[in-house]
Amino acid sequence: MTVLGRDAGEIDALVTDRYLDSLLAGRALLTDAARADGEPGGLLQGAVRAVSQRLASDLPRFHPSFRFEERLAIRLAEAAASMRLPLAAGGEAQVHELSIRPGGFDPLAVLPDDEALDPLAHPLLLRGAVAASAISLAGAAWLAWRRHGTSPMSRAARAAHAMRAPARTVRRGRA
Amino acid sequence: MEAARRDPAEFDALYRRYLARVYSYAYYELGDHHAAEDATEKTFLAALTNLHRFGERARSEDGDGASTFRVWLFRIARNVVANERRSLRRHLSTPLPDDPSIADPLDVERDVVRRDEGRTAWRAVGRLRGDRRRALVLRFVDEMSTAEIAGVLGRSEGAVRVLIHRALRSVAKDLRAGEPPAR
Repeated sequence: MTVLGRDAGEIDALVTDRYLDSLLAGRALLTDAARADGEPGGLLQGAVRAVSQRLASDLPRFHPSFRFEERLAIRLAEAAASMRLPLAAGGEAQVHELSIRPGGFDPLAVLPDDEALDPLAHPLLLRGAVAASAISLAGAAWLAWRRHGTSPMSRAARAAHAMRAPARTVRRGRA
Repeated sequence: MEAARRDPAEFDALYRRYLARVYSYAYYELGDHHAAEDATEKTFLAALTNLHRFGERARSEDGDGASTFRVWLFRIARNVVANERRSLRRHLSTPLPDDPSIADPLDVERDVVRRDEGRTAWRAVGRLRGDRRRALVLRFVDEMSTAEIAGVLGRSEGAVRVLIHRALRSVAKDLRAGEPPAR
């Protein structure tokens, strides 16, 4: 902890944030000129300043096609009209939600970072699942062997056990 | 906003105002024009049909220029895009379009350089994970304030500041690694 209970990382982040405010508001030149005077821009790491300027100028903005824009405008107008119909008919103001929620998806729900759910980002979970599956398989094989069932699983388990037993006998015999 | 809530037909003004921003966000996240169009369509339809759930709660820390409707709309867009990504089981690889910018016939050389730089920067941002990538896109492409991004991502402002700072350092490192060695 350093200044006002903030750690160095938070202070760097705050300085970067102020610089970005200036940069995106078109005051970058002013900020850059002021950095020699100890202004927030002056405390900013050179690499962060350079990449900020690059992203601000180089990242492209996209616009959908005119055809898409107009098609969606018509669809929205139709949806809006269907929402107004109950009111125009003198009915109670009931908003009819369109069926745009596949699988009960709520567009307003607060979702966690979706990549936190990425299985590749959680090797521990993955390994845990593999270990649990292995334990389950071993358990199933043991149960099948104990019950002397006639299923393929129990036959396989007994066969495996029978193959190991003579080997132990041989080793004992040699000793 | 109030007009749109009273009369859904007034929603068109909001749609025209935010269409390109929502589409840009979806395109950066999904890397495909068709998927971005689908997500944009779902976002605006969800916003229209859920207008009655929108509450204009201005926060003093959002600043004068902050729009709570924009935050609300982008929260929907974020959820829709996340849902699309999950349903497509696609991991971000940001495939680039053939022509990410409008060519200027009078300055072809400069245009080519700018397009290359845009591609390189875009790829570096695309390699970031989850909310780091989203925060940078919302900050630089959609030009949102930290407070607005915090509202969209459901994080505190301090957390978003740190997220962006780390993302910028990561992109700087990535771009440096991609540069030819100095002689």
